[in-house]
Amino acid sequence: MFSPEVLSNLIIFVPTIFAFLLIFADKTAVEFMRVWTLVGTAITFALSVALLGTYAPADGGIQQVVAKEWISSWNIYYRIGYDGISLTLVVLTGFVFLISMLASWGIEKHVKGYLILFLILETGVMGVFFALDFFLFYVFWEVMLLPMYFLIGIWGGPRREYAAIKFFLYTLAGGVLMLIAMLMYFFASASHTGNGVGSFNLLELAKWAAQGNVFSPGLQVAGFILLFIGFAIKVPTFPFHTWLPDAHVEAPTPISMILAGVLLKLGGYGIIRIAYPLCPYGAQYASYALVAIGVVSIVYGAFAALAQTDFKRMVAYSSVSHMGYVLLGIAVWKINEVTGAAEGANYWLMGMSGAMFQMIAHGVSSPGMFFCVGVIYDRVHHRDLNQFGGLAGLMPRYSGMAAVIFFAGLGLPGLCGFIGEVFVVLSAWNFSKTLAIVSASGVILTAGYILWALQRVYLGPAYKGPHPEAITPMNSREQAIGWALIVPCFALGVYPNFVFDYTDKPMAKLVRSLDEGYQNTPKPHGDVQTTQK
Amino acid sequence: MDSLGNTLANLLTIAWLLPLFGFVVQILFAHKWGRKSKAAAYLAIFCIGTGFVCSATAFYKWDKQAGHLVFKEAKPAATEVAEPKNDSKAEVTEEAHPKKHSGRQTVFSGTFYQLAQFGDLQLSLDYYIDSLTLAMFVMVTLIATCIHIFATGYMSEELVEDYVDHQVHSHDGGHFHRPGRFYRFFSYLSLFCFAMLGLVIAGNIFQVFVFWELVGICSYLLIGFYVERHSASTAANKAFIVNRVGDFGFIIGLMILWTSFGTFNFADQHVSDGGVKPGLFSMVTRDHHGEFPKSADGKEVVLTTQQDGHGAWQVPPETSPRKTIAYTLLIVAGLGVFGGCVGKSAQFPLQTWLPDAMEGPTPVSALVHSATMVAAGVYLAGRFYPMFVPEVLLVIAYVGCITAFVAATIAIVATDIKKVLAYSTISQLGYMMLGLGVGGWGAGLFHLITHAFFKSLMFLCSGSVIAGCHHEQEMPKMGGLLRKMPITALTMLVGVIAIAGLAIPGIYLKFWSFVPYLSVYEDHGYVLSFSGYHSKDAILATALAYTKLNPLHFLLFLIPLLTAGITSFYMFRLWFYTFLGKPRDQHLHEHVHESPWVMTAPLLVLSFFAAFCALGGEHHGSLFGVLHHSEPVHVHHGFEAANSVSLPSHQAIEDSHASAGQAALLAAFVGMALSYLIYGKGVVNPDEIQRQASGVHAFLANKWGFDDLYDVMFVKPAHVVAKFAAAIDKFVFDEILHTFVRMGIAVSKWDRKFDEGVIDGIVNLMGNSTHSLGISLRNVQTGKIRQYVTFIAVSVVTLFVLLFALYPKG
Repeated sequence: MFSPEVLSNLIIFVPTIFAFLLIFADKTAVEFMRVWTLVGTAITFALSVALLGTYAPADGGIQQVVAKEWISSWNIYYRIGYDGISLTLVVLTGFVFLISMLASWGIEKHVKGYLILFLILETGVMGVFFALDFFLFYVFWEVMLLPMYFLIGIWGGPRREYAAIKFFLYTLAGGVLMLIAMLMYFFASASHTGNGVGSFNLLELAKWAAQGNVFSPGLQVAGFILLFIGFAIKVPTFPFHTWLPDAHVEAPTPISMILAGVLLKLGGYGIIRIAYPLCPYGAQYASYALVAIGVVSIVYGAFAALAQTDFKRMVAYSSVSHMGYVLLGIAVWKINEVTGAAEGANYWLMGMSGAMFQMIAHGVSSPGMFFCVGVIYDRVHHRDLNQFGGLAGLMPRYSGMAAVIFFAGLGLPGLCGFIGEVFVVLSAWNFSKTLAIVSASGVILTAGYILWALQRVYLGPAYKGPHPEAITPMNSREQAIGWALIVPCFALGVYPNFVFDYTDKPMAKLVRSLDEGYQNTPKPHGDVQTTQK
Repeated sequence: MDSLGNTLANLLTIAWLLPLFGFVVQILFAHKWGRKSKAAAYLAIFCIGTGFVCSATAFYKWDKQAGHLVFKEAKPAATEVAEPKNDSKAEVTEEAHPKKHSGRQTVFSGTFYQLAQFGDLQLSLDYYIDSLTLAMFVMVTLIATCIHIFATGYMSEELVEDYVDHQVHSHDGGHFHRPGRFYRFFSYLSLFCFAMLGLVIAGNIFQVFVFWELVGICSYLLIGFYVERHSASTAANKAFIVNRVGDFGFIIGLMILWTSFGTFNFADQHVSDGGVKPGLFSMVTRDHHGEFPKSADGKEVVLTTQQDGHGAWQVPPETSPRKTIAYTLLIVAGLGVFGGCVGKSAQFPLQTWLPDAMEGPTPVSALVHSATMVAAGVYLAGRFYPMFVPEVLLVIAYVGCITAFVAATIAIVATDIKKVLAYSTISQLGYMMLGLGVGGWGAGLFHLITHAFFKSLMFLCSGSVIAGCHHEQEMPKMGGLLRKMPITALTMLVGVIAIAGLAIPGIYLKFWSFVPYLSVYEDHGYVLSFSGYHSKDAILATALAYTKLNPLHFLLFLIPLLTAGITSFYMFRLWFYTFLGKPRDQHLHEHVHESPWVMTAPLLVLSFFAAFCALGGEHHGSLFGVLHHSEPVHVHHGFEAANSVSLPSHQAIEDSHASAGQAALLAAFVGMALSYLIYGKGVVNPDEIQRQASGVHAFLANKWGFDDLYDVMFVKPAHVVAKFAAAIDKFVFDEILHTFVRMGIAVSKWDRKFDEGVIDGIVNLMGNSTHSLGISLRNVQTGKIRQYVTFIAVSVVTLFVLLFALYPKG
């Protein structure tokens, strides 16, 4: 087999290679190009699974596989590596791209361009998950932006230009904030690299942050705010979320699946991999606000979902709500006011792990929900929740699959959505009783909007909307996608260790080093702790 | 040989997982067997039936070890009651404290597999088996088997390719046609059985929550089985969402427990380093006065986390680190968990979903919404009893009391036969909660079991009536059905007598001594009565003893007593209304027929248990004895509190027994007599009463207005807030973005003007001057090589001079 080094690079660049070769394909050989791309995503997915198979965490540390000098005068390296946290997301990415490719069969417009952008997007995402150099991370982050812009802007719905530009502006703004923070850390680290030039090495920066005396509290707070907003836009959390419903509604189904399944995870991943390790003091400083934002996202997203009449928009808002749990879980870092040590660190670890699990689970259930919307949209070409009904009788298999996937989103035990949500909520009480109670109220609202939508779409005697003649049972390709989504829904829900086995140790290590980092950072004199119980 | 614990665990696990297997097979393959095939039903019956056999076997084995509470010894001389060996599986733990029969294990616990571990916090799927678990398993599997068999008959009209749903109208005004869904029904039933048994076997409160939600979703699927009916899908949603309101409380309880105790396990756990980690029940212990160990200021309860030499849990010494929980937090946690029970068991104020749940097919009502799932709340309250402090119990008692009364009053005016039973279920669940709340742990759970039998029986009877009457559920259209369907009518009567708690005192019955293998019941002056009498008697006796201790709460006895009368009244009203008198709808009456044997046989089985399962009552009865075996230790002595709520001891309850029993019996007879006068004999015309008290009637028929109230208080505001949230996105956040963008565009427009007017002007100016310069330079281009070379040489020299002049020195 390949070495981890080769595997990692292949996972990043196989999609690009396939995209490059696609340039030479005949424009009219549509079916060939689709199969070609499918093979490309399948190989990438297989490689990511193979890499997962070779991963054996001894201490949960990063397995750094490649570090090649890239721009030496700026200390920029092509530095990639992985640990359980990134690896599980890499596998998720491979999976989501594969099923999204299957779901892309319906794309008829400029197929070649679509497929090339699709593959380049995958490279960008994979690169972000593997990058261990801040600059490289930033490059991949921006690489991802353009294909997505075009995929929404060209292949989207009626308001696609608006949605694409909105997406672009938001993400670009986030990128700029990240760039500023990156440069701040680059220059602040100059005195520690030995050669007088700053560092982009995320591992090194994190190590220094954990030592506590390298980055001043002021820098950490400012850096954290910039990084957090940059990533929060991507998550997205309240109040940076309004690009998401528009992007989702206008994007074609497979792109929505990728957007919800993978791209949102980049925000959570960035917070875990960069914002927290680089600025433990800043993260702790802001923890109450972060938890509050997470909780508000949960409740606000659920309420907004309840009000929607567009099926896809409702699902998009459900993402806001579900991703709120991710932020909540990451942020429940309670400290002892006197010593500064984490209090009930295991609960925080549980929150972190729950957040991680929630990202994976949402990465399965949310594409599933968008896929369900897409299946019916492809047939009747509308998404008005009040103009469906009766699909359970007309498309029984589809309705059954949709029910399972939506129940996974609802957080039903035995399905993937439950574990993440409940672990995060359980961990929250240790941090703040009030916010924990508010977050728990999400269970009622979630049940409300999902069941109400299910009732309006699938139940009832008859279909009420236009094109009733177009309603046909799922074809075998759609069924394959459905099964591919349902199986991990059950597997993760019944045996969560499929994820925890890989993330436990890195998470524990992260929590330890953050705890050290905060304790080691010299507190400003007269610092009034803003964190509350 | 495996120890008893492993045997029990294996048997119950098989019983638990078989229905899941059935479900998976049915959901994946049943549609291939055809819509007219009954194979799915047979598979489901096989699974749950085998589950019953396993449960009964486990129960038998346990009984043998516990000292033959139920089954006679096969050989009187045999002394096989060996000490359980505790060697084979390390995870089988012997619970230390509820040991009443010295040397015999009362709890068997262990782990199936671990879900996650964070430091010393771990979550797993466990089992916790005591006599309550076993009794529940036997009850659930037995009733479920009966109901499965009944349902093969009841649902048989779904065995068609083209089913006509008379309650749904299609566009053209005709009835709705759809394919039959016989197999689907049984797959849901199987899933439900799996979830319900999982809830019962669960070894930690988190796992209870997991299956709590699963039974909830099964209930959703089954209530909404007729998905085409809007009323059914709405009722299903309502059931699930109202339950989620309760679960909100449940989660808060879980959060407190998890954060304060660091474990969800009921029982102690062996950890990998050989030590023992205390379970929840070990950490909250009381001294023999019923007092918690408290911190110096009395506000914190100190948890008993250290084991003494004999394995008993006690408070760690002052010097070592102690785990404590604020007493108020313990109250909140208890109320939170109880909140979940309120939702699941349809207690006030979340009772509104259960009557609507009657939209489901009648076997579902019998299984899910009377005997098992709705009783899960009571079960959990019983299971979690050691964690409830007296203040929480007081709330439980009042909630139960209010529920019992409110639901009973509504049942008086309900005319739909299933709705009467639904309200009666709510009311009886209230009784159970009341029983638990006033300190009658055994009484409440005793009533759970007896109620499960007689209520599932009555629901099946109503199903038989409904099937016989071609889906007519309104009692005013029935009447005089006794002749037409005698088995249904008489088995129903057994249920009615059981729930009403009627009895004939002073009759000695000895026939059960002829039943082989059942323990000998000596003559103790039994009354001739059915199961409900005993359990209701137990609850009222406890309530009376409680009110004697806490005179302030006298209503906790009076209202249930009154409710006992009301119960008797409306249940006999139902029976008289349906089976006696003249047929009120002649056309309907002519087509009524008795149900086939697959439906009547389960009625007979259930009526046997409804009548005799509580034989011997709480003094010498085997069922009560079995349950009593698992009673938390602190219940026995009660709790005398100076400035809080006291709980009666067993002795105090025993002292109240006779007077409470007589009062209850009197109430039941009065209720029955009134009912007979009005509905049996027709002395007073019920319509006349209704006219006289039209205001009261309207109030009751409107279910005390809860649905309207909640609609105004919660449902509509939720939608308003939702619209508001959506509007904020549209008109605030997006507007901010748009403003920014408009500003950007304005700036760039201004920028363009600047560009075109100023910068371009300069550029053009430069361009023009360059142009003129070029023209003037044209003269230099002479085409002569020597001249060019001279230019180049001069230029190069000039450049070098400039370079050396400007280059930074050093």
